[in-house]
Amino acid sequence: MLLDIKHVRKSFGGNEVLKDVNMEIKQGDVVVILGPSGSGKTTFLRCLNFLEHADGGELDFDELKIDLSSPSQKEVRSIRKRTAFVFQNYNLFANKTALENVTLGLTVGRGISREEARERGLAALRKVGLEDRADFYPSQLSGGQQQRVGIARAVAVQPEVILFDEPTSALDPELVGDVLQVMKKLAQEAGTTMIVVTHEMKFAREVASHVIFMADGVIVEEGSAEDIFTRPREERTRTFLQRILPEEYVDPAIRI
Amino acid sequence: MVLDVSFMKETFGTLWTGVPVTLSLTFLSLVLAAPAAFYAAVLRLHGARWGAGAVRWYVSFVRGTPIILQILLLYSLLPSVLNALVQAAGLPINIFEAVDPFWYAVVVFTLNTIALLSEVFRSALLAIPSGQREAGLSIGLTEVQTYVHIIIPQALTVALPAICNITVNLVKGTSLAFLMTVKDVMAVGKVAAAYGYNYVEAYLDVFVLYLILCTVIQIGYSLLEHRFGRFRQQAA
Repeated sequence: MLLDIKHVRKSFGGNEVLKDVNMEIKQGDVVVILGPSGSGKTTFLRCLNFLEHADGGELDFDELKIDLSSPSQKEVRSIRKRTAFVFQNYNLFANKTALENVTLGLTVGRGISREEARERGLAALRKVGLEDRADFYPSQLSGGQQQRVGIARAVAVQPEVILFDEPTSALDPELVGDVLQVMKKLAQEAGTTMIVVTHEMKFAREVASHVIFMADGVIVEEGSAEDIFTRPREERTRTFLQRILPEEYVDPAIRI
Repeated sequence: MVLDVSFMKETFGTLWTGVPVTLSLTFLSLVLAAPAAFYAAVLRLHGARWGAGAVRWYVSFVRGTPIILQILLLYSLLPSVLNALVQAAGLPINIFEAVDPFWYAVVVFTLNTIALLSEVFRSALLAIPSGQREAGLSIGLTEVQTYVHIIIPQALTVALPAICNITVNLVKGTSLAFLMTVKDVMAVGKVAAAYGYNYVEAYLDVFVLYLILCTVIQIGYSLLEHRFGRFRQQAA
């Protein structure tokens, strides 16, 4: 088991956003988290990288055991060095070129030499098909290209897990395909372990090794993509899928 | 009325002796104020309640009183306080002779500039989306590294026009230093004017010289802005 996440809780004010969420992730897993907005998916992902401070819970990362409610500074850094995050709004560094965006975590964050960082940065940009945009600033790139640089930035630090927070939600529809293609390649060719919060059902269906459906701060149902999409057990999952996939999805109960 | 052109030419030359004083007063105040102002801005944004409150009070205190009053007050207060301290320490120094009034002026303008700059820095820091800070942390940078490499360079670019404004106002504001017998451009001009009652000519000279100084500074800042703002260009 690469990641074992137990009993994650988080409230904002009096509003309980996460109520005891548990998850196990194996090396090479692509876990897709689905759910209506406000279900706590993004908050859960942010808690894993300490961008949000959980009220309770435990994170076992290989041999490391971390109390999510009171991590030490050292634990936070070590987790952040072994994971990477891809943001909904890309969050590229506006004052850095595409290549510098990718290499900053290597040179400054990890003390790797400029030449080696450059090599690895260019290789990461090549993976997302943007080697020829290395010297462009984010303001000169389209949304889809920016997100691909965001993915390259995450890949370059060779994390053990990449966390994707709705990576295509801010994109124009015609740019979504490229980004999903890159993610699919990462999952299938490179065997990257990923946790993906998304509304892209097709991607979830084709790429996910494990699908989790969350609502109101709890995991309602989980299973293989096949299970969740064709044989959902819970009413809430069914309602959600019907709303998101009105054409493709036919309630099995009705079909029988 | 006829202008005494030869007097004007001669005075214009003399006025330049005040330029180093004016510029060094401006430059020193800015450089000394900048780190303190940055700290104040961070304190105001992320600091403890008392720290943020103290900064807010300080800023409204400085902004809410005329600078001429601040000058007169500190120029009366500082030497006496320093003198009392020196006396108490038993040092054989005469503060009133040992300290050039220039340094009192530096203190006044620095204290003033801290308040103005801290507000500029605060709004500039707020202008940088917090997502970039999160992105920096997420790839393993420390908070300080994120500030140094990502937040501050962008915030400075955002702040440059306002800093230019403060600099130009400071150049003009230091003309009040003549109240502290500092021999800046304004003071030199006043002396020249009073000497032969050529007020209009002398003040016209001062007028032109300040215009030149401020124009050069503005050109300098717009070059800087162009240089540091390269990342903001749009795709062709």
